[in-house]
Amino acid sequence: MNFDVGFGQYYEAKSPIHKLDPRTKLLFVIVYIVAIFLARDVYAFIPLTALILFSIIISRVPIRVILKGLKPLIFIILFTAILNVFWTNGTNVIFQKEIIQGHWTLTLYREGLINAGILALRITLLLMATTLFFSYTTTPIALTDGIESALSPLKLIKIPIHEFAMMMTIALRFIPTLTEETSKIMNAQKARGADFSSGGLIKKAKALIPIIIPLFVSAFRRADELATAMECRCYRGGKGRTKMRIMKMRFRDFLWILIIAGLLAGVILINIYGNGYRL
Amino acid sequence: MPIIELKDVCFRYGKKSPYEIRALDKINLEIEENTITGLIGHTGSGKSTLVQMFNGLLKPESGSVIVDGENIWAKPKEIGKVRFKVGMVMQYPEYQLFAETVKDDIAYGPKNMKLSEEEINRRVARSIEFCGLTPDILEKSPFDLSGGQKRRVALAGVMAMEPKILVLDEPAAGLDPKGRREILGGIKKYREKSGTTVIIVSHSMEDMAMYCDRVVVMSNSKILANGTCREVFSNHQLLFDAGLDVPEITNIILALRRSGVEIPDDIYTVDGALSAILKLKGGNNEL
Repeated sequence: MNFDVGFGQYYEAKSPIHKLDPRTKLLFVIVYIVAIFLARDVYAFIPLTALILFSIIISRVPIRVILKGLKPLIFIILFTAILNVFWTNGTNVIFQKEIIQGHWTLTLYREGLINAGILALRITLLLMATTLFFSYTTTPIALTDGIESALSPLKLIKIPIHEFAMMMTIALRFIPTLTEETSKIMNAQKARGADFSSGGLIKKAKALIPIIIPLFVSAFRRADELATAMECRCYRGGKGRTKMRIMKMRFRDFLWILIIAGLLAGVILINIYGNGYRL
Repeated sequence: MPIIELKDVCFRYGKKSPYEIRALDKINLEIEENTITGLIGHTGSGKSTLVQMFNGLLKPESGSVIVDGENIWAKPKEIGKVRFKVGMVMQYPEYQLFAETVKDDIAYGPKNMKLSEEEINRRVARSIEFCGLTPDILEKSPFDLSGGQKRRVALAGVMAMEPKILVLDEPAAGLDPKGRREILGGIKKYREKSGTTVIIVSHSMEDMAMYCDRVVVMSNSKILANGTCREVFSNHQLLFDAGLDVPEITNIILALRRSGVEIPDDIYTVDGALSAILKLKGGNNEL
């Protein structure tokens, strides 16, 4: 079993992006995603791509690391792109062939190819932005702190934001612990002759019982122990709780907000005045 | 002929990544049949990695592992068979219990070996006896038992596979002194009756001195010493240098020697110390 996913993989480095306030990053990524999907003129993708490449360069996260994080999703990107090639109607036919006589004709339009390319680019940019700003340059703790702070106005309508953030922090914290636990249990059952790879689907599913049950038992045990430990340290929810790291917006944060606002404005302007191919 | 033979075994974790750790460095080791071998070493010395080589849970990067005359990695697809020959009890084995009843849990290994119903029942009955459990426990849920009982059920689950070699990683960790004695004593009795070769990983020098025939010392991914208890425990300086200790009783003997008492320095059990002290007192064994 391989748990090697891009999410939650912090890449330690000193860079302006690492130093940004997590709330700035949240705002930046949300506006960026909106801009990606607002863009209707192909030329609008030039500043969009340029900005993310610029961010990657100054973040000091090697491009190879970012590409590795995209690797598991290549199939989804290609699949949606290929579907788009054949499901778009247009006027410039490149290729036509009747597959089932009189019923189904496969037609390839120039528009279809461009649309598919743009779609693949959109998904790639979206993934690059989210992984770069949320995974590689922000620790999960900082991210949940940022989310908590950004959502704190909802406390006014009695939504327990702090509790949600705490749950998220704990869940993230226990991913590596449970991964390690799983491999230990798997080894123990393998030592007792368990076989996880042969047999049909039902047999394989049944072979997982000796792993899942001990894993659940230990997850509950850990939850219990953690709750006791938190109570011993007088945890009483968010009220009156202070933070060790106090987030503060600095000059660079406002600079980045300005950059992303400029990008959004630019994309809208290109949409209105641009003369490139339009989606 | 040794029952386990390791030749030039090397292993690294996180190969070719910034987190690469060398765990085993050209290990050569022979384990003789029908002995209890103790494996000691400080945390991170490579003990747990080494025992996972014996049953093919880890594959050496280079070198070979020969169990019972066969290179276990000659046919990588049949590595599962080695695990029936080399039974392994991991650290804190009570966390691997899963079945509805104790009986089903102990029978899990033998069932994977595709044994007949009667044979499985015979083995379950035999293994709980070795582990000091009574048959009335068989129909209980393993999650209702006490910590010590769970540990023994997990141990019985591996013993029921009747492996030729039994490897135990810290079998007595976290148990009270009575629990330790019962588990380790049970293992010793089991070995005497079944002729199984036993390998125990432990931090406790006293346990090693009391239950093992031979001791292997690991330090920094290498084997530092390998010999009988007397040979290893009389080499005090070597153990201290490796960040380990000698049994408490040996420390007392060493302190006596430092204060001028003429007593041999290769004593590592309480009984050995008693007879040496009595000898000093005047040659008779009466107090």
